[in-house]
Amino acid sequence: MDDLRAINNDVESNATKISAKNVQVYYGDTHAIKDVNVEIKEHTVTAFIGPSGCGKSTFLRSINRMNDTIDICRVEGDIRIDGQDIYDRNIDPVQLRARVGMVFQKPNPFPKSIYDNIAYGPKIHGLAKTKADMDEIVEKSLRRGAIWNEVKDRLHAPGTGLSGGQQQRLCIARAIATEPDVLLMDEPCSALDPIATSQVEELIDQLRESYTVVIVTHSMQQAARVSQKTAFFHLGSLVEYGTTDDIFTNPKDSRTESYISGRIG
Amino acid sequence: MTDISSGSVPLTTNEKVQASLGRRRRKQFILQGLGIGAISIAFLMLFILLWSQIATGYKAFMQTNITLEIFIDPEEVPTERLPRGNFDDVLAAALVANLPGVDASDRAALRSASGILSNGAQFDLRDRIVENPALIGQTITMRMPVSDPYDQLYKELLDRETPENLRRLDDAQIANYDHLVEIGAIGSRINTGLITNADSRFPELAGLKGALMGSFWALLTCFLIAFPLGIGAAVYLEEFAPKNKLSDFIEVNINNLAAVPSVVFGLLALSVFIGWFGLPRSVPFVGGLTLALMTMPTIIIATRAALKAVPPSIREAALGVGASRQQVVFGHVVPLAMPGILTGTIIGLAQALGETAPLLLIGMNAFITSAPGTPFDSATALPTQIFIWADSPERGFVSRTSAAILVLLTFLIMMNAIAIYLRSKFERKW
Ligand SMILES: Nc1ncnc2c1ncn2[C@@H]1O[C@H](COP(=O)(O)OP(=O)(O)OP(=O)(O)O)[C@@H](O)[C@H]1O
Ligand SMILES: [Mg+2]
Repeated sequence: MDDLRAINNDVESNATKISAKNVQVYYGDTHAIKDVNVEIKEHTVTAFIGPSGCGKSTFLRSINRMNDTIDICRVEGDIRIDGQDIYDRNIDPVQLRARVGMVFQKPNPFPKSIYDNIAYGPKIHGLAKTKADMDEIVEKSLRRGAIWNEVKDRLHAPGTGLSGGQQQRLCIARAIATEPDVLLMDEPCSALDPIATSQVEELIDQLRESYTVVIVTHSMQQAARVSQKTAFFHLGSLVEYGTTDDIFTNPKDSRTESYISGRIG
Repeated sequence: MTDISSGSVPLTTNEKVQASLGRRRRKQFILQGLGIGAISIAFLMLFILLWSQIATGYKAFMQTNITLEIFIDPEEVPTERLPRGNFDDVLAAALVANLPGVDASDRAALRSASGILSNGAQFDLRDRIVENPALIGQTITMRMPVSDPYDQLYKELLDRETPENLRRLDDAQIANYDHLVEIGAIGSRINTGLITNADSRFPELAGLKGALMGSFWALLTCFLIAFPLGIGAAVYLEEFAPKNKLSDFIEVNINNLAAVPSVVFGLLALSVFIGWFGLPRSVPFVGGLTLALMTMPTIIIATRAALKAVPPSIREAALGVGASRQQVVFGHVVPLAMPGILTGTIIGLAQALGETAPLLLIGMNAFITSAPGTPFDSATALPTQIFIWADSPERGFVSRTSAAILVLLTFLIMMNAIAIYLRSKFERKW
């Protein structure tokens, strides 16, 4: 616990990467996110926890404007990345999503080869000049996604032919292939076995050096293991936000306490 | 299981399931029976249709021929008058040489006997000699189709027992025919003319080449117009258009358009393409434009359905790595929807192939004896050719009509088979 606290203290001094002020999200008449204010630090892993349906995914998706693709969804308030309002008229969501990568709750590889799955992002952004560059990006991403050893012999087999857990790691590899600043992960380990989970957690820890990571998880242990900051959502509101250590050892709100001790869920 | 309901409730879950199982099985049995019944009826109908067409049409796939040794008399066909010459006399002479019973000096008997030769025979002979004038003065062997009544006689469709005055061939003609059969001059062969000849007034010479080419050009025009326009419209409506009252209105209208009777499209084409734009009548190009009007709604609806069926997670995945909307649509969604789009297109084209009414209205039922070389030459199409032949009085056209229907059905079956093949080949699992 002592060394954890040391890391946590470290994080407090980091600059703010993402700041959300009075964010409201509506699906038609449903008020899914209610007045959320949060400052997410750079080079930090921030965990979003909370019961199912409380709006974790919704809030995560509003950080890379993925909610724009849902017709009935409306986002209000102010979300800034590096001080810039991402819902500003001048911001192109395409450019934003290149900077803010995402791993979705359900694995969704393209029905193409494993290689093409990884190469697609770098290709459309022009990140590789030669075939050799691209091969390198693909290998590096697959290694970091903890899946290289399983797929290195069948890079040209379809990505949809992998198991669910392998598909999810492929999607993680795909998301980091474009080297985003911010990585949003929606329950990346929900389909993984303990070994792959610990590999992904290790990856998340490494990613923290260069990126800002936000991870949604239903596993308290995972939140405690990988994150430095934790936000607890309940019924669309951000109930409590603080260092992971504080949230787990010394929650201020009674709802947080009941959730982490397993009484709401 | 048992201990949940033990005590107060007498039936165990297992017993309850058992009780309902019989009812469920019975329901499934009835449903299956109905399904099998429906399919059997559909198959029976199809079988009756095919059988009736094959029964009348199969004879048209054979053609009775006469083979003669022909002496090309330089008196009748002088080299310097080519391509003119008395080819019919040359043929008649060759025929009479095989008929000892006919007096060559009796003009009436000669004319009656040479009725066995098709009217087209002299032109075939002319073409052969024009091609190679060295044949003049020599004797050549030539096989020619016999005229329709004799063809019917060979196929036993003409009854010898009918009183002579009601028959299309008199006793003398039949006697001549029997003699020719005896000496082996008459035979029957696969009727390649059915595919390689254009239309003709004489059933034994009439073929489908003009109609096939006309349908080909019309469908090609239809495809080249309806496919890109249909896909473009569908992709725009499905992927880019804002969802509002206007797009709803357009959607309703496209669905309506698909249900508009084809004759209305024909009238529209008549007044717009031919009336206003002054395009020529009877040409496959205009036919193709008209069919494109009808096929487009089908393609749009099929394309939209195929685009809708692409799972949203694929779009999200592509958007998530920073693809633009256009990259998502053309790089992922449209390729994944392609099998559905192609299937819809082929089904639309198959419909267009069988469409008759609009083509009749723009004049593609004219009598044209040469196959179109371009989409701008007058032509008929397969369904209008069937319409023309079905309307012709000659007995020979009855079986030819059925044969043409079989040809049309063959093409339809082929197109639908391609659609099924494409669908199964590109079927994806996500
Ligand atoms: N596309 C949508 N249309 C309408 N309502 C939606 C949509 N997506 C989510 N919601 C609603 O918004 C609320 C928050 O959903 P969200 O997916 O953010 O929950 P979550 O916290 O991610 O839950 P889980 O842990 O189960 O993934 C829910 O009440 C849900 O019903
Ligand atoms: Mg979620």
